[in-house]
Amino acid sequence: MNRGLIRKTFIILAIVVASAFAIVRLPLRLGLDLKGGASLILKVHVEDASPEQQRDVVEQTRQILERRINAYGLSEAPIQPYGSRGNELLVQLPGVHDASRIKNLLQSRAVLEWYSIEGGPYASTEDAMAQHQGILPYGRKILATRPEADGRRAWYVVAGRPIIRGTDLRDARVAAGTMDRPVTTFILSQDAAGRFEQFTRANIGRRSAIVLDQEILSVPVIEEVIRDSGQIRGARNREEAEDLAVNLRSGALPAAIEVVQERTVEASLGADSIHDGVRAGAIGLAAVVAVMLSYYRWAGVNATLVLFLNGLLLIAALTCFGAVLTLPGIAGVVLTIGMAVDSNVLIFERIREELRAGKSAAGALAAGFSKAFATLVDTHVTTVVSCAFLFFFGTPAVKGFAATLVIGLTTNLFTSVFVSRVAFDWELSRRRSNPELSIGVAR
Amino acid sequence: MELFKDAHFDFLGRKWWFLLPSFVLILAGLASLIAKGGPRYSIDFLGGAVTDVRWEGAPPIERIRAALSSRLGGVSVVAAHDSTGSNEILVSVQLPATGDATAVRQTIYEALSTVSTGYSNRSFEAIGPQIGADLRRQAFMATAGASAGMLLYLGWRFRIVYGVAAVVAMAHDALMTIGLFSLLNQEFSLTVVAALLTLIGYSMNDTIVVFDRIRENRRAHGREPLAETINRSINQTLSRTVLTSGLTLLSALSLLFFGGQVLHGFSLALVIGIIVGTFSSIFVASPILLAWEQRRTRWTAPHISMPTGGVR
Repeated sequence: MNRGLIRKTFIILAIVVASAFAIVRLPLRLGLDLKGGASLILKVHVEDASPEQQRDVVEQTRQILERRINAYGLSEAPIQPYGSRGNELLVQLPGVHDASRIKNLLQSRAVLEWYSIEGGPYASTEDAMAQHQGILPYGRKILATRPEADGRRAWYVVAGRPIIRGTDLRDARVAAGTMDRPVTTFILSQDAAGRFEQFTRANIGRRSAIVLDQEILSVPVIEEVIRDSGQIRGARNREEAEDLAVNLRSGALPAAIEVVQERTVEASLGADSIHDGVRAGAIGLAAVVAVMLSYYRWAGVNATLVLFLNGLLLIAALTCFGAVLTLPGIAGVVLTIGMAVDSNVLIFERIREELRAGKSAAGALAAGFSKAFATLVDTHVTTVVSCAFLFFFGTPAVKGFAATLVIGLTTNLFTSVFVSRVAFDWELSRRRSNPELSIGVAR
Repeated sequence: MELFKDAHFDFLGRKWWFLLPSFVLILAGLASLIAKGGPRYSIDFLGGAVTDVRWEGAPPIERIRAALSSRLGGVSVVAAHDSTGSNEILVSVQLPATGDATAVRQTIYEALSTVSTGYSNRSFEAIGPQIGADLRRQAFMATAGASAGMLLYLGWRFRIVYGVAAVVAMAHDALMTIGLFSLLNQEFSLTVVAALLTLIGYSMNDTIVVFDRIRENRRAHGREPLAETINRSINQTLSRTVLTSGLTLLSALSLLFFGGQVLHGFSLALVIGIIVGTFSSIFVASPILLAWEQRRTRWTAPHISMPTGGVR
């Protein structure tokens, strides 16, 4: 028996075993559109930063948002840079069905400042200005309180520079406050504690303003000397107080962010998509196999074998690359079936032509494979070229589709040319005298 | 069983029989595109919010539309396409200029609740107008880039005229599919663009298989008139073309009927594209090749020019 053939067979068997092992050991991760969850695209407003700092601002923002999400208990949700613009981030939150709370958590800049109050409250900015004869004293500014439930708010004139800022915080927690209104407590760093002690000692009995994102949260009267800890009232409920604590702990954002795309998928829809996709794949495959078997007879068995092997290799490759299977990915797998069939048909038709031209089985096989190979390379390369341009899209869904198709084309070239040839050679070597090919051609 | 054994169809002689209906369809598609002011873009490209809602029982689409229209702008309510006959609807609305998606989402569900409480939301998506504009640009760049890439590759592998003929056939397919989508009033979404790029690849496949054979036959029978070589090549590859397209069509049809509503637009574009693409590689790409060569020989020399081999 041909030793080269046996060696090739062993190579194929080794690859099959390795693929099967990879599929069993490495779980194929599912995308959010298949397992349910929310994904957000955030735009970081970097316009204020200088061009060379913009990249750092986006990266800092990314890290801070990641800390916030981790603190929220969603540790397996990395935040990735997104798109070609360089200022967008993708947040994926598996299992989250309503993204509104997370959106608030992420969008809040969490810039905390503590100011001394110089005057107020006033009914409006104009009112405040009128009290100062239309000219705001140098180094002062006017801030409004956060609107009450009925929309009322008040204006205060505060010192231009805060006494402490968010960066001075060492920790922030939620504590039960008075009258069921939870408060957020914080602890200051050593350095800030010294400053704050001086300030409170000098200003006992006077009011101060705790400001979050340029809105006054509360106006506490300083009753005693405070060293390193304080509390923030004004949260409407426990969730809000918790989110504030999380945001203070993870730090203020260097730039404002905006949610530009939001997508949530219920787990039930994802399950339906998997079910539908698998069903479509199975029906398509069954139809294709049925046609191949009836048209090509025993060679159809070869083609079927090669088709399944291609599927096995494709899934193994996807798991090895750590790819996330999404719905467009399933579509890519189904289309790969189509491409694999094309390769087989191309080769088989060529072999048939050679047989009709009067060549022997072995001769037709060799000529068919070698002549079809040039065409196969051309068709595969052009499809890879068109897939490469799908990567122009920043969208992960389209990229996933293109990546699946490219991997599928590669495995297909291997299975339909190399593996299929080995299968044919086995068939011929078994029937040594006057070998014939069963490929559906009457001679 | 053998399809088209020793086929001798005169494809080039009858090309107008096939090209004419194709032109008519493309013109109809273009007319529809002009009348409707472009493709019916989905929110992927325009920006907006869309939610997939499963209804208990048949959804009263008119009442739902009325309830939503009184609260939000740009409302569209359509039944989701699904072979299982589940009562799903897709609700899409415009996002207000200053709008927060969370508020829009709440408003949608409030409006739906006034019609019935027997529904469950399956997905929600909101896309800002900036993202949509980016996608339109990217879609254009991807299509233009893919065409240029294939033109260059074919120019290198064959001759540049082969590349031109293949790219014209490809443009024919893309135009036809976009036009038919407009005629059928189908939504043009991001996944449809992905399908379009895939079928551009498929169409290219078919064209290349024929071109490869033309090149091979010209080497073997160099003295034969080009029209005969092309006809012979199309006939020789005919059973492969029909079989492959038929089998690929089977996978695509299976996706269309059983793949679920999320993939509907994608599968429909593929089904149209596979049929049109097979057609164009025979009736569009090959006549262009012939017309080019005939014009060239008429201008330069009375003898038939020998083809260059290309790179192997």
